Parts: sequence; structure tokens; C-alpha cells
Amino acid sequence: MKHQHINKIMLAGLLVIAFALPLVIRSATYLHILVLLFFYAYLTTSWNIVGGFAGVLPLGHAAFVGIGAYTSTILSLQYGVSPWLGMLVGGVLATIVGVIISLPTLKMRGAYFALATIAFAEGIRVMVENIDYIGPLKLNGPRGLQIPPLETGLASFMFASKEPYYYIILIMLLAVMLLTYLISRAKLGYYLMAGGEEPEAAMALGINVARAKLIAMAISSFLTALAGTFYAQFSLYIHPKSIISLDMSFEIAFIALIGGRGSIVGPLLGALLLRPVGDFCRIYFGDTLPGLHLVIFGLVLIFVMLYQPRGIQEPISRAYQALLNRLIPQPSLGR
Amino acid sequence: MLYVIEDMINGILMGSIYGLTAMGLTIIFGVLKVINFAHGSLLMVGMYAAYWAITLTGVHPYLALAIVIPVMFAFGYALQNIVIKPIFIAEKNVREPITVIIVTTGIWYILDNLTLLVFGPQYRSLTANPLQGQMFELGSMFVSAPKFYGFIIALVTAAAIHLFMQKTIMGRAIRATSMDREAASLMGINQYRIYNVAFGIGAATTGIAAVALIPFNNVFPTVGVLFDIKGFIIVVLGGLGSISGALLGGIIVGLIESVGPQFMTATWTEAIVYGLFLIVLFVKPSGLFGQKHDW
Amino acid sequence: MNVLSRLTLPAVALSLALGSFGLAQANTVKIGNIEPMSGPSATLGQQGKAAREMAVEEINAAGGIKSLGGMKLELIYADSESKPEKGVAEAERLINTEKVHVLTGCWNSAVTYPTTAVAERYGIPFIVPVSVADKITEQGFKNVFRIAAKDSWWTRDQFSFLKDMQDEFGTKVEKLAFVYENGDWGKGFATQWKKLAEENGYTVVLDEPYPSTATDLSPVVQKIRRANPDVLMLVSNAADAILLTNTIAEYKVKLKAIVASGGGHADPSFMKAVGKNAENLFDIVEWETDVNKPGAKEANDKFKAKNGYNLTGEAVDAYLAMYVLKDALERAGSLEPAKIREALAATNLTDGPGMIVGYDAVKFDASGQNENASPVIVQVADLGQGLERVTIWPKNARRAGYTPVFPANK
Repeated sequence: MKHQHINKIMLAGLLVIAFALPLVIRSATYLHILVLLFFYAYLTTSWNIVGGFAGVLPLGHAAFVGIGAYTSTILSLQYGVSPWLGMLVGGVLATIVGVIISLPTLKMRGAYFALATIAFAEGIRVMVENIDYIGPLKLNGPRGLQIPPLETGLASFMFASKEPYYYIILIMLLAVMLLTYLISRAKLGYYLMAGGEEPEAAMALGINVARAKLIAMAISSFLTALAGTFYAQFSLYIHPKSIISLDMSFEIAFIALIGGRGSIVGPLLGALLLRPVGDFCRIYFGDTLPGLHLVIFGLVLIFVMLYQPRGIQEPISRAYQALLNRLIPQPSLGR
Repeated sequence: MLYVIEDMINGILMGSIYGLTAMGLTIIFGVLKVINFAHGSLLMVGMYAAYWAITLTGVHPYLALAIVIPVMFAFGYALQNIVIKPIFIAEKNVREPITVIIVTTGIWYILDNLTLLVFGPQYRSLTANPLQGQMFELGSMFVSAPKFYGFIIALVTAAAIHLFMQKTIMGRAIRATSMDREAASLMGINQYRIYNVAFGIGAATTGIAAVALIPFNNVFPTVGVLFDIKGFIIVVLGGLGSISGALLGGIIVGLIESVGPQFMTATWTEAIVYGLFLIVLFVKPSGLFGQKHDW
Repeated sequence: MNVLSRLTLPAVALSLALGSFGLAQANTVKIGNIEPMSGPSATLGQQGKAAREMAVEEINAAGGIKSLGGMKLELIYADSESKPEKGVAEAERLINTEKVHVLTGCWNSAVTYPTTAVAERYGIPFIVPVSVADKITEQGFKNVFRIAAKDSWWTRDQFSFLKDMQDEFGTKVEKLAFVYENGDWGKGFATQWKKLAEENGYTVVLDEPYPSTATDLSPVVQKIRRANPDVLMLVSNAADAILLTNTIAEYKVKLKAIVASGGGHADPSFMKAVGKNAENLFDIVEWETDVNKPGAKEANDKFKAKNGYNLTGEAVDAYLAMYVLKDALERAGSLEPAKIREALAATNLTDGPGMIVGYDAVKFDASGQNENASPVIVQVADLGQGLERVTIWPKNARRAGYTPVFPANK
């Protein structure tokens, strides 16, 4: 059997497992943790399009999450617009904001770009915290917005159990992973990577790096905002300090860097490592030794970066390949 | 009019102290070319060191400098040497090692939360210190004495760092490394030792800022976070790597924070600071006073 | 390497993350407590924890829940870090995995809203010792019971206090300044204040939210000084309460009174950190050490011996919450959430170690609000043994022999 076939079978198997998981895991606790895990994997994969492929370090993606969440929530609370439609509106709005902010910032290098995105996201948070109303739209300032439980169902994007949320975010995650895979194979991906690694050389080859980065940023902010709506509908309460928080922006970047920046599965792997570390440490140490969970979280960050600066994706892939080679030795390709 | 003058004085004094808190950040960036996200935590450690030095010995707050500066230098030196250096070595060929940012963030989480574990969440402040509540009263105008002294400390520190960088062999080696690390290495300068020293100096400077703050500010485990983002903004406003730029950037932020609230609510001045920051980034990314390096 | 093999890898990690979870037969009453144990409100979480532990130790030592065969209470804590999403995740876990019978928490109103919604969905009773936003008991939830007064009552009492003080001391108050942290709590108070000021004919000379992460509050203090109000009303967290109090003293701002709203001003570290600058400050709290109730002094001494600081309003509400729960469990005689809920709804607790509060009985109205909860107002004063908080209002609760200093600017 060829490795390619095995890979296909494994992938199919994984998909089956992913979709069957809620049949096995009945506990809402673990489903909740998994939903948030996939939510972060989704955010990080969206982030990866610009942060991974284009080689810059955006540290303000929570702003787009916030734009998505606020847009769909305001539209549904005040105008009865379906959150699904609001999700798209939020995505478009985030794209516009993302492009506006990127036009000047993407020219910056490294640290400047990172700091600019932090300031941008913090600026958005401060504005939301200071604005109760934009015209007729009620933002409710620092108090946030609560979505009252309506009738549940797919149309209202509101469910009594965790399973539907699980499937929605899983499908969103798979779709965005497929999309990044396609991008990485397309010209855009090639331009981005070339521009990220050797911008001067890429430009010399006639690649419009700036344009490629801008497109990447537009796609990334659009996708990120969609998750904002998901989050709002999942938690039914949004407030600026938690949804436009630096913590969230940072966590997205950490997951990508720990998982493996610029790879397709890196974000998912990073989320699979970091989310449970954070959750379980908080659960076990949160009461007796407050703060210890964040110490451990910090240690994990440092150790992964010390020993696997390219992220955990690399050694895991290597180990998997080695395992395959050992289990099923490939016939050497005859001449 | 008098109001505006009074507010401007407070803005300049407080702003120069902000500039002092950001000076360590800009030194470390200038040499290592990385943003130190653990900067606020260094400030917090410095404040705890100062707090305990003053309360346990009962000395005048500013005498704590004699303890805090060497302690913070050693702390910064060790932190860079033990935790950050290995990453630089592993990522030798990368121009701006982003992994270092992650590591410094890890250090931030660890320091803040270890402090919470060891000292608890309490807020501490120096009561009954000779500086507390001291005010210069000029007619109906009030100027806070510890802020004024902080302003002096900030100026002296900036001048001292400048002199150190210009006049000493170590200072020149640091400057050489910050301009071109390969060339410096070729000239026989040990790049990593320079990094250690630069980080130590950055931490020590942050310790000085901590001592300047402690007569009128609280100490608690997450106090550094309050100064973190502010520090980033200040160093970019002034030009990353520039000492005098940090001071001026700090004063600009201080002025906005101090004069702004007379025209709007205090919460909006934050938004103005971010807005100005973004405008400066767009228009003049090297910072308002951006020379490459001015030490 | 192609993408398929990269996708294969999560399988291992996923299966590790699942683990197994069994169902244990309950032999204790499990109480899930969601509190900010780390992060910016950590001191409040720690106070709540210490108070709950003291109550539960006492209850267990006295033989547990008799109607349940002497069953003991067990406290399970979860750290919210003051973040709503963490609070929600912890509520899910406490309910589904720890199988708690009742939940309490969460101090931060912003965490309490979504968290009580989780409890409501599962039908698990949720006792809110302190989280003052009105909205918490106005969501139409059946399972939420709040011990503390809500913010419309706190603000109402602050204004009644102002009126009573003017009548008692013959000093007129006209101009008010409102300065508050720009959050759910501060905004909630300020909205009520503005309404009350209008109704009572006061002039509002300053209405100023400030970011509680501010590193310099002298610009805000300057605004207060220049607005020249008679009375300054504050809502502050601890760090900013300390900064504000010190800065107000430095700038020699003369006010007839400063009326604070608990929280930061009631934090045990506050008085230590500001010292004499706190003198004559008025603060509204749920409870004070000098309350005239049997057992209060003993409870406080015991608490102080263990934790090094006095019981605070927040802590007492948490302490009382455990006794309210014990009382309900005795009457329910069952661990079924619906039965516990019913018993809680029928609460009429008048005595016992928990009742060290100023009012006579804990009773919940239809919305789950403790209808008797009533804050008191204290003044910080030095009566020869260092600064302490002296209850002065309502007048019938005033500490014997103490005359409030009003106006407070001497």
C-alpha cells in the first residue's frame, strides 16, 4: 500500500472520528472545551493566512472577532436580522476595516507592524467601551450586550445543547483549513510566502507583494469576523473587555507559533496543545494555587520555543512519517 | 489659562516618568531588535524590590536605588543569559526572531503569576514615606513633589545612559552591536554577552523607573500590565531604540492624559493616544524623533 | 510531505484529551464556586473563598446536613480570572463533570450574567453572594438567588443617606460630582445616580468615567477640584481607589463628603495603603464589623485570626450564603436541584451563625433577590486604635457614642 493511500484513509478516519465525537463524549464540559478549542483553531487558521504565509505578526485579530460579534448581535437584537446574515455583514465590515488598517501598516516591518495592530485593536476596544450608541445602534459601552435566549434552532443560531455548536465550528474549521490549503497551492500562497521570506527578491521577480498581503489580510479579517458571530451566539453575552481583548489576540498568535506558523495543520495542533494545557491547569490549580496555571502556560510557551522554534507541527509530522516508513517500507523507486 | 499650565506641568512630569519606564524597553529593542513583552513584569519586579527594600530597611525611598539597580541588572542579565539567549542562538539567521516575543510573553505570565503566588493579590503602597503627598504649592497651582523628583531622575538617567553609551568601551561595543551585529562580531565583540549586558541595563533602568514610581503608586502583581502597552506606544512615538525619543514620547502621552481630560472624559484620552500612535506609525514609522540611534 | 499526513496527526492528541469520566455516588453536598482567584479582582475572590471555607468548616463540624444523614458540604472552586468566557466554561464543567448540586459566585457582574444563564439552562440553583448589577435578578431566571442588595438599592440608600445627613447636621448639599470606573459596575451606578440626582434636585457638576487601568489619576482629581462639588460620589476598584484617595488628599480638595460604593474602598488593603488620607470617607457596604448582632464580633475575630484582615461585606455575604444554603438543604432533605431550588425560594432565615448581618431575615422575592438586604454606610475614623470603619447610617444602626463628621472637610 502506498503512503498516499494510507494518508487518505487516515484523513477519512479522522474526519469520521471528529464527526462522531459528540456521540462518544456526552459530557457538556468536554464538548464545551472542544468547541472553544476548535474556535481557537479556526481563528488561528484564519490568522495564519496573513500571520503565517505573509510572514508578519498581527497581534490585534481580536478586533475582527469583536466587529463580527457586535455586528451580528446588534443586527439581530435591534432589527431581528438572522445572525447568519449578520455574520456575513460582520465579515464584510471587518474586511473593510481590515483593508483600511492594512493599507498603511502592511508596509511596516516586524515589530512596527505588531505594535500597530496591538494599538489598532486596543483603540477599537477603547472606542467600544466609550460609545453607548452609534446613531440608532446600541453598543452599550463597557456593559456589553446580552442575547436573550429565544427559540432555539438553526434559523436563530441558538441551541440548547452543545452538539450543534460543535458541528458548526467543526465545519467552519474544516472549511477554513481547506481554504488555506487551496491558498497555499495557489498563486496567492506562493506570492505571500515569497514576499514573507525575501520581499526584495520577490519584488524583483515582479510579484506585487503588497497586493498579495492586502488580499491575505482581507480574507483573514473576513474569516475572523465570522468566528465572532459564532462566539456571540455560543456565549450569548459579549462585552468589550473579553471579546476585543489583547489576551485573545495574543492567544491566537501563540497558538499559531506553537503549532507551526505557515503550515496547514499547525494552528490545529497548537490549539490541541495549548487550549487543554490552559484549561486543565486552571481546573486543577485554579483554586489552591491561583495563578499557577498561567505560570505553567508560560513555561510551555518558553519550552516549545526553546526546543521547537518552528512549532510542534514539524517534529510531529516527522515522527508520523518515520512511523509510516517503518510500518510500511516503500519499495525503492526503480530506475 | 492657569489650569492649562498646571495640567501641562503635571503632564510633563508624569510623562517623563512614563518615558523612564519605557527607556529600558527601548534600550533592549535597540540592541536585541525584539520587543520585550515582559517589560511590564520587569517594572513590577522592580517595584516589589523597591517596596521591600524600603519597608524592611526603612531608608528614604530614593536610597533604594542602591539596592534596586544592581538587583535588577543581575536579574535582567540572568534572564537574557539563561532564557532568551538559547533562542537567539537557535535562530541565528533570522533578522527579527519572532519566537523571542513568545518567550518574553511566557516570562511575563510566569513573573506576574509567581508574584501572585508568593505575595498574594494585595495592593501595597509605601505609607508614611517622607515623599508621600508632598506638594509644591505655587499660588493656587499644585505640583507633586515625588513626580518632580521623578522628572529629575528621568533626565539624569537619560543623560547617564547617553554618556555610558558614548564614553565607555562597553557602551561603544553595545552601540556597534546594535548597528550591525555581524560586523561587531567580526571585530571580536561577543554578541551574546553584549545582549546580556544590554538586557541588564534595560532591566536596571526599569528598576530606576520603579523607584521613581513607588512613592505615589501601588504595588500589586499585575501593576506592570498598566505600563506595558503605554511603554510600547511611547517607544514607537519616540522612535524604537532612541533614549531621548522615549523621554519625549512619554511626555507626549503624559500631556495628552493630563490636558485632555479638561476637554473630554478621561476615558477618551486613551483613544486619542492610540489614534496619535497609529497616525505617527502611518506618517513617520521611524517615530516623531526618529533617528536610527542617537546614543 | 503532503497535507493529508499533516492532518492525520491530531487523532492521537484528541484521543488523549478525552480521557474518561465516571459518575460517583454523591456522599457530600458539592458546592461549585466560581470566583476571580487570579487576575485583577483576585483579592475579592480570595476573600470570598476564605469566608466560604470558614462557614463550611463550622457547618461540617456541627454535624453537616442533618436531614441528609449528617452529609458534609464540599467546596469546589473554579477560577474565572474575571473573564466571562472562563466563568461560563467553569460553570459547564462544575455542573457536568463535578456534578455540583449548587453553584455560587461570581463577584464580577460581567461574569455572573452569562454564568447564571448556564445554571438556569441546567436547572441548578445559583446563589449570588455579591454581584450588584440589577440585571442579574431581572433576567427572569428561576434558579438565581442573590444575597447582596442590588445597585438600584445601593444608590437609593446613598441618596437617602445624603438627605438624612443634611437634615441631621443642617448642612446643605447642592452640587454633586460622579466619578466612576468605566465598567459594568460603575456605569450601572452612575445611571442610577443621575436619575436620583434629578429627582432630588441636586446639580451634577461632574460626570466622569475613568479607565480603572489608569496610571495617573491627578487629571481626574483636577477636574473634581475645579468643578468644586459639595459631595463626590465614587465607584472604584482597589488600585484606583488608592490612587484617587491619595491624590485627592494631595491636592487638598475640600469636599463636604466623599461617598464611595464599596468594592475597592472596602478592600482590606485600601486602608493600609492610604492611611490617614481615608479619614472621614463615607463608604456604603453590606456589613461592618461593629454591627450590633450577636456572634458578629466572634465571627470577625475568628476570621481575622486566620486571614489577617477583618471580614468585609463581600466576605460576610459569602459566609451567609453558605448558611442560607445549609438551611435550604435541611428543609429540602434532598440533593435534587429542583428541591433545593424550592427550599431556597422558601427561605426565611432569621437566626444561626450566618445571620450576623444587620437585617432580621433572609427572604427571597419572586425574582430571587434577598428582599431585606440593606447596605449600611460607614465612616472611616480614628477612635484611638488606628483607623477603623464605623457604622453611622441608618441611624438606628449607628455605633453608640459616635458622632459622624459631616461636613467632613472640618
